[in-house]
Amino acid sequence: MSKQESDADDRAENRNQDTNGYEDIQNGHRESGSAGSERARATGEALVEINELTKTYDPDGAHVVAVEDLDLDIGDNEFVTVLGPSGCGKSTVMECIAGYLEPTEGEVLINGDPVAGPDPSRGVVFQSNRLFPWKTIGQNARFGPQMRNDVDDERIQQLLDDTGLTGFEDSYPHELSGGMQQRAELVRLLANDPEVMLMDEPFSGLDAMTKELMQEMLLDIWEEEDRTVLFITHDVAEAIFLADRVVVMTARPGQIKDVIDVDIDRPRDSSVLTSEAFNEYQERASDLIHDEAERAMEQKQQETQEA
Amino acid sequence: MSTRDHVLGIDRRRLLGREVPLPPRGVRWAMSVAAFFTFWWAAVEFGFLGFGRFVGPVDTLIAIYGYLAGEPVAGGNQSIYIHAAYSTFRVVAGVGLAALTAIPLGLLIGLSTKAGTGIEWNNYLYPGLESLRPIPPVAWVPASILLFPIVPVLGFSINTAVLFVVFIGAFFPILVNTVEGVRNLDDEFRRAAQSLGADSGQVFRHVIFPAALPSILTGVSLGIGLGWITVVAAEIIAGNYGLGYITFQAYRLLQTDVIAVGMVVIGVLGYASSAIVQRVADYATPWSDIETS
Amino acid sequence: MDGARWAKRGVSIASIVVVWFVAASIGPSTLPGPVAVASAFVGYLGEPVYWNAVVLSSLRVLGSFTLAAVIGIPLGLLIGWNVVFGDFTFPALELLRPVPPIAWIPFGILVLPSVAISLGVIGFEVSATVIFITFLGAFFPILLNAIEGVRGIDEEYSRAAHSLGAADWQTFRHVIYPGALPSVHTGMVVGMGLAWVNLVAAEMISGGGLGFMTWSAYTGGSYPVIFVGMITIGILGYVSSTIVRYIGASQLPWMEGSTV
Ligand SMILES: Nc1ncnc2c1ncn2[C@@H]1O[C@H](COP(=O)(O)OP(=O)(O)OP(=O)(O)O)[C@@H](O)[C@H]1O
Ligand SMILES: [Mg+2]
Repeated sequence: MSKQESDADDRAENRNQDTNGYEDIQNGHRESGSAGSERARATGEALVEINELTKTYDPDGAHVVAVEDLDLDIGDNEFVTVLGPSGCGKSTVMECIAGYLEPTEGEVLINGDPVAGPDPSRGVVFQSNRLFPWKTIGQNARFGPQMRNDVDDERIQQLLDDTGLTGFEDSYPHELSGGMQQRAELVRLLANDPEVMLMDEPFSGLDAMTKELMQEMLLDIWEEEDRTVLFITHDVAEAIFLADRVVVMTARPGQIKDVIDVDIDRPRDSSVLTSEAFNEYQERASDLIHDEAERAMEQKQQETQEA
Repeated sequence: MSTRDHVLGIDRRRLLGREVPLPPRGVRWAMSVAAFFTFWWAAVEFGFLGFGRFVGPVDTLIAIYGYLAGEPVAGGNQSIYIHAAYSTFRVVAGVGLAALTAIPLGLLIGLSTKAGTGIEWNNYLYPGLESLRPIPPVAWVPASILLFPIVPVLGFSINTAVLFVVFIGAFFPILVNTVEGVRNLDDEFRRAAQSLGADSGQVFRHVIFPAALPSILTGVSLGIGLGWITVVAAEIIAGNYGLGYITFQAYRLLQTDVIAVGMVVIGVLGYASSAIVQRVADYATPWSDIETS
Repeated sequence: MDGARWAKRGVSIASIVVVWFVAASIGPSTLPGPVAVASAFVGYLGEPVYWNAVVLSSLRVLGSFTLAAVIGIPLGLLIGWNVVFGDFTFPALELLRPVPPIAWIPFGILVLPSVAISLGVIGFEVSATVIFITFLGAFFPILLNAIEGVRGIDEEYSRAAHSLGAADWQTFRHVIYPGALPSVHTGMVVGMGLAWVNLVAAEMISGGGLGFMTWSAYTGGSYPVIFVGMITIGILGYVSSTIVRYIGASQLPWMEGSTV
C-alpha cells in the first residue's frame, strides 16, 4: 500500500521536472512564432470547447490519470489533428467529446452546451474498424438515417459512388479489403451528416499507398462539405498533411505540449509532401514527439514489469 | 516437409523411406468405414469379450429394414416411428422451452452486466442459476419423476418429467452462451450505433441481438446435443415410450437387434438435428465467422 | 470484488433456497424442503455408504477421464496433423460420435466384463460398463477439440518453424502441440462436464456410486436423499471442472486471461 503511494509520488515528481523541461522547448517554439497564447485557441468561432479536462480510470483499485488539465478549442470547419505517443490519452479525449465518457473534472462544450452522451451530430470513426459485421455495406451506410426513418437513397448512392463502393452494397464487411472497409465506415458517417467528425487513427491499419489515397479523399470531402474534424494519429506526416492545426500531446498524463499552425495552401495533394515547408513542419513535430514517445515507452515497460 | 503440406491431390508418400502410392481420399474414407464394420463383424463372429451376445452388422441391417417397414418393436405394439416421434418431440419441446426462457434471461443478464446501471440482474439472477448448473441434468431425473406427472393429451401421454430433464439439459448451455454473446461484444459497436443516432431499443435490435446471435445459436446447438443425451437417459430410467426406452426394454428382453437399431436411429436423429441447427445458423448469420469481440 | 456485489450474489443464491422452501411448503407433500434435506445430509455425512458412493463415483470419473485424455489427445493431435492418418481413422470415429454415450448402456452391460475388487472397508465393483460410458462422454469432446486445435493453427507458424530449421517432429513438439493446447483444454473442460452427466446416468441404470444412491433413494421412498445425492454430485462436478480449469490455466501462461 505505502509502496504504491510512494511510487505514485515519484512519478508525480518526475512529471513536474519533465514539464519544466518542456516549457523551455515550448517557449522556444513560441518565439519562432506559432501558437501564441497559453490556451490552444481556435482561429474561427469555437465549436468544441474543452476546459480543464481531467480523466482518470480506476479499474480494480489502480489509478490511471489518462488526461490532465487539458484545454483545447476547435473552431467551426476547422481540421485539427492530435498527435501523441501511444497511450497518452488521445482516444480518451475523443471519447469525452463523443460523449462516451464523462470527464472526471472539467467540461466539454459543443456550441456552448455541455456534452450529454453520444449524439448523431458528433460522428465517430474508431481506431479499429467498427462497421457492423452483421450488416451489409448498404445496410451499414444507411444505418444512421434509418434510425430516424429518414433515408435519402440518392445521397447514400452518391457517397458510395464517390468512394468507389458501387456494386458492393450487398457484400458483408469481411468480404472487403481494409481500405474499402475504411471507406465504407466513412460513408456511414457522412450519410449521417454530422457537424463534428471525430476520427481515431482511422487509417493506421492501411498500407502506405491506400493511406495516402484515403487522406486525399478525406480532404476532398472535408473541403466540399465544410465540417469540423478532430483527427487522431501517431503518424507525423499524416498529422501535418491533413491539418489546419496540429495539437501535440505529452506522454501520459496527456496534456498539450504544443500546437503547430500548418500554413500550407489548400487544396492539398500528395505533391505537398515533398515541399520544403512540409519538411520543416515535419521536423518540428518529430522533435516534439520524440521525447514523449520515449517517455511513453518507458512508462509502458515499467507498467509491464510491475504487472 | 510437414505432412500437412501435401494435403489434397498428392497421393504418394514416403513411408519408412520408400515412396508408397496412396489411394485417393474418398477411398481412404471408405476403407476406414469398412474397417469399422469388419471389426464389428469379426468381434461378434469370434466372440471377442462379450460380443458373442451382441448382434452383428448384417443382422442389424436386416433388422433396420424390418422395423422401418413398421414392425412393432421391443414387445410392444408400436412401430419404431412412434418411439422416434416421442423422443424427437421431447427434444424439440424441451429445447424449445429452454430457448424461450434462457435466451431472454441471458440477454437480460448480459445487458445488465454491460450497462452498469439500472437493476443489476446479472448479480441477482446469475449466481443463483449458476449454482444449479454443476448438477448434471440426468441427476434431476428422480426429483423430476417425483414432481412432474404424466399428462394425457389428445390420446398421447406426455411425460413431463422427461420433458423437464431435457429442458434442464438444454437450458444452461443456451443461457451461458447468450450471456457470453452479449458480454463479449466490444463496446465500440454499441457506441458506434449511439453516435449514429440509435436509441437503446434500436441498439438492442440492430447491434446487441445480431451480435449475440451466433453465440446464441451455438448454445442452441449444444442444447440439442445435450437434449439427445438427456432424453435417452431419462427414457431409459423413467420413460414409457421413446427410443431410449425401447433400447433398454430390448436389453431386458434380450432382443439385441433392437438395441443396435435403437442406437442407429438415435445416432441418425441426433446427427440430423445438429445438421439442421447448423444449416439454420449458417443461414441466419452469414457473417458469423467474424470476430465481434 | 466489492462487498455490495458479494452481498447481491449471496442474495441470489439464498433466493434459490427460499424458492425451494416455499415450493416445498405449498407444493406436493413428496417434495422435501431444504431443512429436511439439510438434516438428511448431516446424517449421511456420518454414513460409510455415502462416502463409499462418493469415492466410487469420483474414482470412476477420474479413471474414465484420464483414459479419455490419454487416448483422445494424442489421437486428436495425430488426426489433425497427419491428413492421411486422419482419413483412415476419423470416418470410423465419426460413425460412433452421434450416438449418445448413454445409448451404449445395454451394449456395455451385455458385452463388457465387470470385475469386483475389495479393499477392506471400501469394496468396489469395477464395472467396465460405467467406465466405458463415462469414458465416451469425455472422449469425443477431447478428441474433436484436439483435432480442431491443430487444424486451427495458422500454417505460417509451421512454415516459420521449418524455415528456422525445425524437423518434422520438432515442429510437432514446438508448434503443433502448444498451438493446439488451448483448444485441448477447452475440450477437457467440456469433457469433464459430460463425464459427470454420463456417469450419473450409467450409475442410475447399472448400479453403484452416487447415481445409484440418488435413484434408489427415489425407489426406496427416502426422498430427501435424492437431493443429498444431487447436491453432492453438483459439488463434485464443480470441483472437478475447477481443477481442470486450474491445471489448464497453469499450462497456458501465454494465453491472455489465464491467471492462476
Ligand atoms: N477503460 C480503461 N481502464 C483503465 N485504463 C484505461 C482505460 N482506457 C484507457 N486506459 C489507459 O489510459 C491511457 C490513455 O488511453 P487512451 O486509449 O486514451 O490512449 P491513446 O493515446 O488513444 O493510445 P493509443 O495510441 O494506443 O490508441 C492508457 O495508458 C490506457 O492504458
Ligand atoms: Mg487510442
